[in-house]
Amino acid sequence: MSSRTIEQPVQIVMIEDDEGHARLIEKNIRRAGVNNPISPFANGHDALRYLFGADGSGLVNKGKPLLVLLDLNLPDMTGVDILRRIKTNEHLKRVPVVVLTTTDDAVEIQRCYDLGCNVYITKPVNYENFANAIRQLGLFFSVIQVPSPD
Amino acid sequence: MAQRTPLPNLQPILLGVGFTLLVVISVATVFLVDRAATDTQRLTQTLSVEDKLSNVLLSVRRAESSQRGYLFTDDARYLKEFYEAEPEARQLVEELRTLTRDNPARQATLDAVSNALDAKFKEMTETVSLNQRGEADAARRLVLSDAGRTITENLRKTISEAIIDEARVAAERTAQSRQTSELLLYVTLAGAALIVLIGAISVVLVQRNSRQREAAQTELEATNANLERIVEYRTADLTEANEEIQRFAYIVSHDLRSPLVNIMGFTSELEALRKDIFEQVAKLSPDAVAPDANTAQPADPAPAGEIARLGADFDEAIRFIKTSIGNMDRLINAVLKLSREGRREFQPEQVDMNALLESIAGTVTHRAVELGARIEVDRLPDVETDRLAVEQIFANLVDNALKYGREGVPLLIDITGRANATHAIYDVRDNGRGIDPADHLRVFELFRRSGDQNRPGEGIGLAHVRALVRRLGGSIGVTSALAEGSTFTVTLPRRWAAGRRNKA
Repeated sequence: MSSRTIEQPVQIVMIEDDEGHARLIEKNIRRAGVNNPISPFANGHDALRYLFGADGSGLVNKGKPLLVLLDLNLPDMTGVDILRRIKTNEHLKRVPVVVLTTTDDAVEIQRCYDLGCNVYITKPVNYENFANAIRQLGLFFSVIQVPSPD
Repeated sequence: MAQRTPLPNLQPILLGVGFTLLVVISVATVFLVDRAATDTQRLTQTLSVEDKLSNVLLSVRRAESSQRGYLFTDDARYLKEFYEAEPEARQLVEELRTLTRDNPARQATLDAVSNALDAKFKEMTETVSLNQRGEADAARRLVLSDAGRTITENLRKTISEAIIDEARVAAERTAQSRQTSELLLYVTLAGAALIVLIGAISVVLVQRNSRQREAAQTELEATNANLERIVEYRTADLTEANEEIQRFAYIVSHDLRSPLVNIMGFTSELEALRKDIFEQVAKLSPDAVAPDANTAQPADPAPAGEIARLGADFDEAIRFIKTSIGNMDRLINAVLKLSREGRREFQPEQVDMNALLESIAGTVTHRAVELGARIEVDRLPDVETDRLAVEQIFANLVDNALKYGREGVPLLIDITGRANATHAIYDVRDNGRGIDPADHLRVFELFRRSGDQNRPGEGIGLAHVRALVRRLGGSIGVTSALAEGSTFTVTLPRRWAAGRRNKA
């Protein structure tokens, strides 16, 4: 990401309805030394409006370096739908999506990868593991290459 | 139904009556046939008597004509028939005597005939002798005396009376014979009619019975179909309820996990903050600033000892929270695991139970050697079932047996099996510490354990085993006494029922 920050820093879009989880995720990402901007959304509709713009075409985010952190259990829709829409959108399909959720059902995991999810992480109850996972995710973010804006 | 009940009793009665009648008719027929034969024989006899009587007269006539021919011609050749006639007539009379032995009237007739013959032949022999001696005139006078003619006339009368009498008897016997034949015909006809009647009644009864049986069968089939439908509905209801419970367990455990992540996360954050907080508090404490200050000061906010005590309380609270979260997480995971197992689809196949148990014993060899335990597997019957499920069932039971050994007793785990027509029954027996009879049902419940809680575990294993056995269509039970060991008995259907739900 450091290579990108010069032009335009990668923006992390966090779709997580549980405020506590959102806070813990953010804290641990920051602890890993990742300072990229994080846009939190507590429900699916707001997140979709942000990602796809008012016209729903996704044109607003064309060429912007984005990374989506997605929870599957949302109050207004399932994260799987959001994942599908991102991965089938002309302008957003190359955006990396990290699914971070409590669901560890094998079928669900398979479905997410089938739809084009890039990483699937299960939230562990053990906080040490959780914090570690998030921090490593942060480290991962710092080296991850997102597609160039074109 | 009430009006049908006497019918099954009527049939044997009818058959009995019919059979008796047939026997009576048969006896009557035999008797009548015999009588007809006797009648015929007697009739023949009568006719024969008539015939012979006529012949006697004929013989006398022949003798007479022969005698007269001789007297007339004086030629000895005419005497040939005369000499033949007497023995012939005598012979006939003898035969008649035999034939009419039982008829006194006829015997009297024959006596008369005999006398007449004597007289007649005496008279004729005399004429013949006179002529031979050349006294032809004397012979002719004797003939002309009409003595011989009178005898012959009397004989003829006697015989013709007897013949008339015999003819009367013959007519009587003919009538009787006809009567017997008629009777025989009627009896035979009656028998035939009876047989036809009984046959018809039997056919009607059989038809009626078969109709009743058909009706009963149809009714039974309808009832069965209805029953099957009811069972189907119930099964569908149960399956649905079970699926609902599985979904519920799954969703609840997932949703419970989410707040737990927060509780654990922020508790850890608090723990991380603790150091900072207590450092700040210690800075505010006068002890830290001036350790030699007047201890009698009542306004002191917090002495060092007090702070340490607060720190210990804080740590204790955090520790309890974290332990509880850990426990809760394990329980939620257990529920999740059970609900996930309940959702797995079964793949029925023929399972070689000996191979399966040997493989389970193989995986625990290391532990068994450490514990000095021995695992013995007897010859086991095979079953058609889900391999993974049975493997989990028996692995759990063997694992439990290894886990709950008895101090100072070398552990022996013995697995035996037997089969009946429909089910295979397996016993996993150990000589471990045993289970209190009061807990025999409890051990199969989720999160429930028995005896000293000195072994690790969550109380999931047997609940899981029971859920699996039930889903396979079987049952599980335990017999055990404390300090004697336990026997877990697993009963599984030998054939996979097609109707069984493969999915819960």
